Amino acid sequence: MKKLVALILVLAMALGLVGTMAAEEAAAAAHPVGGEIIYGSSTEISGDWAHGAIWTNNASDNMIRGLMNDYATVAFDQGGAMVMNQSTTQSIDSVTNADGTKTFTVKIAEDLVFNDGSPIKAENYVASLLLFSHPTLLALGSKSTAHLTYVGGENYAKGRTLSFKGVKLLDDYTYSLTVNADKVPYFYDLSYASLSPLSIAMWLGEGYTVHDFGRGAYLRGKMDEGTLKPKVEHARFLSEGRITAGPYNLVSYDTGAKQAVLEINPNYKGNFEGQKPSVQKLIIVKAEDETQMDALKTGAINLLDTLTGGVDVNAALDIVNEGGYDFVTFERNGYGKLMFQCDFGPTQFKAVRYAIAHLLDRPEFANTFTQGFGGLVNGPYGLAMWMYKESEEELNEKLNTYAYSLADAQKLLEEDGWVLDAQGNAWTSGLRYKEVTAEEAGDYKHNVKVGGKTLMPLIIEWASSENNPVSELLVTMLAKNPDVTTAGMEIRQNIMTFAELLNWMYRDKTVGDQYGVPTYGMYNLATGFTPIYDMSYSWTLDPELIAQGYNSNFLFDEKLDKISMDMVYGVDATEVEKYRELWVEYIVLWNELLPEVPLYSNIYYTVFVDKLKGYEQSSLWNFNQAILYSWIEE
Amino acid sequence: MGKYILKRLIYIVIVFLTLALLMYMLYNLIPTDPARAELEPMRKTLKPDEYQELYLKLRADLGLDDPLLVRFARWIGFMPGKNGQLNGLFQGNFGYSNFYKKDVRTVIRDPIMITAFMNIFATILALGITIPLGIKTAVKKNSLLDKSVQVFSIVGYSIPIFIVSLVFIYFFAVLIPIFPVMGTKTPGSNFSGLRYYTDMLYYLCLPLIVMTFASLGGMTRYVRAAMIDSLSMDYVRTARAKGVREKMVIYSHAWRNALLPVITVIIGWFLGIFGGSVIIENTFSINGMGKLYIDGLTNNDYELVLAMQMFYTIVSLVGILLTDLSYGLVDPRVRVNK
Repeated sequence: MKKLVALILVLAMALGLVGTMAAEEAAAAAHPVGGEIIYGSSTEISGDWAHGAIWTNNASDNMIRGLMNDYATVAFDQGGAMVMNQSTTQSIDSVTNADGTKTFTVKIAEDLVFNDGSPIKAENYVASLLLFSHPTLLALGSKSTAHLTYVGGENYAKGRTLSFKGVKLLDDYTYSLTVNADKVPYFYDLSYASLSPLSIAMWLGEGYTVHDFGRGAYLRGKMDEGTLKPKVEHARFLSEGRITAGPYNLVSYDTGAKQAVLEINPNYKGNFEGQKPSVQKLIIVKAEDETQMDALKTGAINLLDTLTGGVDVNAALDIVNEGGYDFVTFERNGYGKLMFQCDFGPTQFKAVRYAIAHLLDRPEFANTFTQGFGGLVNGPYGLAMWMYKESEEELNEKLNTYAYSLADAQKLLEEDGWVLDAQGNAWTSGLRYKEVTAEEAGDYKHNVKVGGKTLMPLIIEWASSENNPVSELLVTMLAKNPDVTTAGMEIRQNIMTFAELLNWMYRDKTVGDQYGVPTYGMYNLATGFTPIYDMSYSWTLDPELIAQGYNSNFLFDEKLDKISMDMVYGVDATEVEKYRELWVEYIVLWNELLPEVPLYSNIYYTVFVDKLKGYEQSSLWNFNQAILYSWIEE
Repeated sequence: MGKYILKRLIYIVIVFLTLALLMYMLYNLIPTDPARAELEPMRKTLKPDEYQELYLKLRADLGLDDPLLVRFARWIGFMPGKNGQLNGLFQGNFGYSNFYKKDVRTVIRDPIMITAFMNIFATILALGITIPLGIKTAVKKNSLLDKSVQVFSIVGYSIPIFIVSLVFIYFFAVLIPIFPVMGTKTPGSNFSGLRYYTDMLYYLCLPLIVMTFASLGGMTRYVRAAMIDSLSMDYVRTARAKGVREKMVIYSHAWRNALLPVITVIIGWFLGIFGGSVIIENTFSINGMGKLYIDGLTNNDYELVLAMQMFYTIVSLVGILLTDLSYGLVDPRVRVNK
């Protein structure tokens, strides 16, 4: 019997092994490895390769960093959901401690190596946190804030302790991170367990090691500014011989031509699904707006990423129609918007915000602006979000679309008390006025006093950025819309630079006292979302946070603030349905309070030579992730 | 002569300092908070405590809380920096690019080389064509050749360089693909030595042709006008009356005298070799000084922009001095010591 059991076990193991090998081979050898793609980037490469936005936050650099570094313990999947990286991580265990802190213990795979073949151990993961949070690195411009998340981080970053108390190196392949009590529970708390490996040899050279004698991990070696500055400057910009761990190796970067060349890293184990790349060589160049279509046509560029706007998309589709090219299309994870400040002037009244929404034909606006390549949302979400996809029907039922209607706008205004003229008589035509309390009146500059009463005119001061086609279309379709005048409203456009618009929006007195005075009730700008949908401080009532620029809508609604906090800080990572329910509640309340009017959400196009096969992209699944699943068929 | 040059050099220092102060003040009058602007794209990914710590750190790093004059004195190198050492413009520190997070000197090293490389070629090409053409059209005034050159030069002079670039790209890179559309090297190539330069030259051919084409009209007309003026002088008539050979009359008597107004423009061209063409560099995706300048302005990278402007200021001031001195070489009548 024992023999039989042993035989069955051996057979099962053998079959399992064969199965695993077959799956790995299938993933690796599904498509031929070879070919090259010239990627035309809309932003210029700066050549700063420090992973994460530690010093610079340039889109092209970030993409190349993503191609070179993909061994984080936590990854985002195609739908933007956070998952444990199966290739790099054996397990992530968490425990909530008695003092409210939470400890994540991460065991990494034992077969990980850097692109030069050197082994990756837990110390390499821990080193990234220890180095970039070190006081010397912070003095050298590191923008890392990770230390604020973990126990003992503040003391470590300020140089009060040599070791980082909340970071433990448990053995060669295990580390733990203890998160401060005020950061948990958090729906996205898996992100706290995420670190990426760093080559100590490349960043610091010989003589540096990570140690932990039970009081927290620390870096041993000379850590003064004079020693570290040249090492760090060298490592940040090192292009040839760079030690990284990702699907591609940076082969060269020409600082003159601003051109980066990457080739497959043969030591790469695969992404979170075990997927390895098949396109042998990637060349990243800058594409100029004026000539990018000619470059695509002549083969100077093989792939143009995230094209937007009718002119470019139509030109690209013409090229596709000529043959030899293909495209993918996906929705933007964000939208262009009209944003209101809700604590002064007419826009403090919900009815006025509703009326403005009713006086703009949003579907027509979106269609005109995007020339047919765009859509519309009715709340702060993107159409590619998993929460939206799972709640689409519910949202369609519950959300107000604020359809174009002069009658509705007028009715809302009348019900809200905008029924007077400048003399305080009943309004018949022209500009509407409303009798307001002293608190409502505030210091709004257009208020008038009539017979001891304060009347507020329905004048909307609109801050719009210069050279902005959205502003131009808004002038035509909203500010100069005759129905706006008929409704008794006046929208005054104030053109300024975007930097100045931000000064007004944040009421930033540090650049001038005048900006501290609430002046503009309406702004036009755009917003985008990351896979971590965290609006926790967007509606804060805390004056200190508001002074920092949070809740720039100045909408003080306790319920909205509470839901936005509860959504992420009141839900454990496992309570996905509870999170979704709160998310829907948040979107519905937002839509009711209407601090912003979404104007358009673009549909993006990525156009590429048709020798590139299997390329699928979305706003949550970028080129550096999508290219791993593609191959070249000459 | 020495005294004159010394006096001019003192003027240069005064003008430079005045301009530096004005420029610095001007850029700092722009109502923006560079620390906030830098963190704006990251705001959504940061928690409030993280944002605030970074914001305060950036303000301190950028010295935004110090008085404007103190910042200027540190930048120019009249006052010690936060580390207690003088480390400003006068000590050779061109500043720190807040966008690239690198020393300005490192940031401009490659663009200045590419721009100079392009401009030297374009200037030599343009002068090689325009001077003989200008002389020829002046000598053959009102001939068919002269009239044709006049028409073409005025057309070339009037069309914006942006249009010229796109038309040339369409004809010579798309329709007849003999030149690449953009860039300065073959994508993915790793050439070195002579091959590197020939490859770069091939990629720069089309922008060089456009630059040369765009500069033909103005210079040809300038040389032509100076020559016509010179050819109508009495000494030319006298030389011809004396039976001097026509070539000698044109190139020795007329051209030498016509050179005085032309030399101002020629020296100006050579001084401009460090100044990039914003439009050409952007259209052809060339990492030159013009593109860097515009990018610097777009990214609010004021230390980079200021350093570039100060560099151009020095080049211009020294250039004006050289131009004045060169007049004496060409025309002995205007030598200072005479």
